[in-house]
Amino acid sequence: MSEVLDFADSGATYVAKPAPSFLFRLGAALVVLSLVLMVIGPWIAPYDPNRPTFEISEPPPALVDIPGLLWKVITGAPREPIHWFGTDSTGLDVFSRVIAAPRTDVAIAVGANLASLIVGSLLGLLAGFARPWIGGSVMRISDLIQAFPVFITGMILVTLAGRSNMTIVLTLAFLYTPIYVRLTRSEVLSQRHRGFVDAARALGKSESFIALRHVLPNAMAPALIQASVTIGFAILMTAGLSFVGAGVRPPTPEWGLMIASSANELIQGEWWSSIFPGLAISVTVFGYAAFGNGLERKYGH
Amino acid sequence: MLNFIGKRLVVAMFQLVGLALVVFFAIRMLPADPVARLVGLNSTREVYLSSQQALGLDKPVLEQLSTYIVGIAKGDFGRSWVSGAPVMEDIRNVLPVTLELITISFILAFLISVPLGMLCALRPGGVADSATFTYSLFAGSQPEFWWGLLFIYIFFAVLGWAPPPLGRLNPMSTPPPAMTGFITIDSLLAGNMAAFRDGLHHLMLPVATKVFVLSGPIIKMIRQNMVRVLGADYILYARASGLPPWRIALMALKNALVPALTLLGVLYGYILGGAVLIETVFSLGGIGQYAVRSVLAFDYPAIQAVVLVIAAISLFVYLALDVIHAWIDPRLAS
Repeated sequence: MSEVLDFADSGATYVAKPAPSFLFRLGAALVVLSLVLMVIGPWIAPYDPNRPTFEISEPPPALVDIPGLLWKVITGAPREPIHWFGTDSTGLDVFSRVIAAPRTDVAIAVGANLASLIVGSLLGLLAGFARPWIGGSVMRISDLIQAFPVFITGMILVTLAGRSNMTIVLTLAFLYTPIYVRLTRSEVLSQRHRGFVDAARALGKSESFIALRHVLPNAMAPALIQASVTIGFAILMTAGLSFVGAGVRPPTPEWGLMIASSANELIQGEWWSSIFPGLAISVTVFGYAAFGNGLERKYGH
Repeated sequence: MLNFIGKRLVVAMFQLVGLALVVFFAIRMLPADPVARLVGLNSTREVYLSSQQALGLDKPVLEQLSTYIVGIAKGDFGRSWVSGAPVMEDIRNVLPVTLELITISFILAFLISVPLGMLCALRPGGVADSATFTYSLFAGSQPEFWWGLLFIYIFFAVLGWAPPPLGRLNPMSTPPPAMTGFITIDSLLAGNMAAFRDGLHHLMLPVATKVFVLSGPIIKMIRQNMVRVLGADYILYARASGLPPWRIALMALKNALVPALTLLGVLYGYILGGAVLIETVFSLGGIGQYAVRSVLAFDYPAIQAVVLVIAAISLFVYLALDVIHAWIDPRLAS
């Protein structure tokens, strides 16, 4: 977004920030919601996400009934637990599964990004700080990884390494590391001749101390901003891999799996069991994108 | 210029060789047992061993590697372990489906995104800009397989406008003779207008999904480049000279599109590899679905070929756009 700001500074025309900060707040709220559901989702689900109920393919309550049902919930009137999003063709409660799924989707995405953020920024620091040949080879390896088609490579690695949550985390971490290497390295290159670095050097600190203590903390901003966007993409990828059968194993409550297992019913009119999990992906990933975009505007340069 | 192309070609070749080696070793290092997958877990040891021998997996790895490399050099990726058909022939059948889908979607997405991106950049911060920007952020972060299903539900199941999502053509109709492999082009060449219309009809929803998802990043990119160009001094000069706004916008657009070429190349490669999902939803039978099938069956020759073919096409598109870029803007080549 630097172009936008430069344009504003040049004084040709005053440029207001193009997107309202409402978007940023919405994004932040959605990010927080997804993280909260990641922790408590399976605990607050009204039904056991993995135990079928007796109502099979029951549609969600009609829109006109919802205020009445909500009133019953608030007043605590005695009632049957409500299938807010209906039940799927095996009788599983869709709402419970949708809110239990962040434990899989969001946790995988956050874990993978945490791992690649740590490894990637350390490698980026190395690439920017160490001798040129080390930096060069780190960058060539990053290039090589990025030349692979991401989704297909993800499919191959996860399937051949044995489908489990851990292999998905490791695969995504591997595929996303070059992004962080690149971002951190270019930031390190611009930081390493700044005054505070020279000052530390003049004090006789060792190079590795300077790199870790002074340069790295100052070079993390772009990588942290990127992390928000990449977590969103990691959720898309986890759901996508599970959708084609190369990701999480059924019957784990997971958005992509839920869509895949009820895609056939969709055509016969049972829309709720695949529409709601998709809506959850759509809203969550948009939240991470909006949050990342807001961060970039606020702190990026 | 030739020097520039030559240098880029050499780098691309090295990258492909590197990819070929990495793919080969990576799939052999992972703890998967393709033989057991193929013969089943209950088979006897003799069956297992003979199957292993038939696949060439009993040979030393370096010998397998040399067969593989020599094969690639001749454009032969071996035979599929599942169907026994030559992998290259399979890929020649499935690749055009994907390229057709992606190229049409790409061109349409571009045509839609350019005016929208311009609209944003002309009045940054305006209502149109905020709305379009929010749209592009939204579209760029959507699960395309779900939107595909949603479109199927609305336009096929409810409204009945779209054909069932079961492939490229109506299964009852006779496909045009395969010349290029692209159904739209083949049917036109054969003068078969019914097949042409049917082909487009079946492409309608996948293309709409793809265009929707793609328009997000493209709008964002056009907008960024336009805003930068509009801040340049020569635009100020054009404004001061009293040129009408639409002429200034067109002038700026030309300069904003040139740097966008490189990014478009990256994006094309990216969606080529990402066509898996949309092809699965609409059962189009392109290289993405072929990839899913091969991966789930542990079909190593097919997996190797898919990765290399997609990477090679991406690199080639990337290179071609770079060359065009350097041809338009000679400063780059020097």
